[in-house]
Amino acid sequence: MLLILSQEHKEHLRLLSDLQVEVAREFCRISLEFILKGSNPKIYQTAAQKLGVQVNQVKQAVEGLVYLFNESSRLMIGEIDFQDSVMTLGFSEELNKLLLQLYLENRNEIRRLLGELSLELSHYHNLEWRFDVQLASRSLHHQTEPQILLKLHTKRQGDTDSQIFQTDPVNLVHLTSELENALAEMKTAHCRRIVRNIK
Amino acid sequence: MDINHDAQEGLQLCGESVRIPEKSFKKLVEITFDIILGKKDETSFDASNTLDSVNPGTLKEAYYGLVTLVIEAVKTDSSLTDISSYLEECKWDSDRIEYLNKVFSGTRPDIQALLSSTRTVFPHIVDVDWRLDYYVKNKYLDKVNKPTYLISLKTEESNKNGYSDVEFSCSMEQLQDLVGKLKDACKSLEKASQM
Repeated sequence: MLLILSQEHKEHLRLLSDLQVEVAREFCRISLEFILKGSNPKIYQTAAQKLGVQVNQVKQAVEGLVYLFNESSRLMIGEIDFQDSVMTLGFSEELNKLLLQLYLENRNEIRRLLGELSLELSHYHNLEWRFDVQLASRSLHHQTEPQILLKLHTKRQGDTDSQIFQTDPVNLVHLTSELENALAEMKTAHCRRIVRNIK
Repeated sequence: MDINHDAQEGLQLCGESVRIPEKSFKKLVEITFDIILGKKDETSFDASNTLDSVNPGTLKEAYYGLVTLVIEAVKTDSSLTDISSYLEECKWDSDRIEYLNKVFSGTRPDIQALLSSTRTVFPHIVDVDWRLDYYVKNKYLDKVNKPTYLISLKTEESNKNGYSDVEFSCSMEQLQDLVGKLKDACKSLEKASQM
């Protein structure tokens, strides 16, 4: 799948083709830093003065690169498709190589960051268990009731939460076998076919 | 058996056939057990014609004595012999003792179950629901392509009616971890049961 770049986007990136590769590399570094750590508009002013261009041009070039890296990572563009997509920008071969290298190096990290933005349900983190036999309570002495205490830790966007449950042996076995069924389901022909076909 | 003085007096009244005739006694015992098990409430006493002949104060005391006796006996797992000898001390005749023991034996397991659930407990897991999704993409990310499980634990709490759900999601690896830990628990339970 190729990345379709709009005319406007290409205009914004045009500045880069007039620059030396070393300077372009600096632009790439800044744009990646923006993606990973957040933007810092002060840099535009300094860079614009040094290069003798409009502040806006610098801003657009950096943002253009940010968009290029983000979109390619989002769509998980392959190596060859990325090269072909970038080719339409008319950069030097050296710069194209540099873009590819930086894209491949940072793709996973960018995808991880993008993943954090998406809606997230609280997910399983850890489970602790304890096996008790209840012997007596205020309302009933002389008991022998086996019970299992479960402490379930869940995580949601970095916040951990834990809840305590209890259950009896029969329900524990039922719970375990039911979740084993769930795991086994993924290995069925039906699920495997779906997984194979969604690429 | 450790029964307080007031309740003991109530039991003594309950054994006096002059104050509580045979028929009323049986009705009283029947209603008392139903109330303990939550099948009836105390308005049943007013509704019953059989109990009209009994002085309301006496009835109240006798009821109080009976409830205390039954709960205490189940709580401490007293034998029928213990109960009988205690009631003999309260001057009950053997017919009444026998009748009470008969009703008591029949309902004891239910009362035990009731008392064992009368306590503070953590939500009790009684079932689990699961759903398997293939996570394809979201607003920010294409080709996520990972199996995702949604797990919903059904729990019961003694002071609430019905079930509540506890939901969380799991990746394949996380579910494997969870199942592994649950299996450990099952195994250790199995070992313990063979001891």
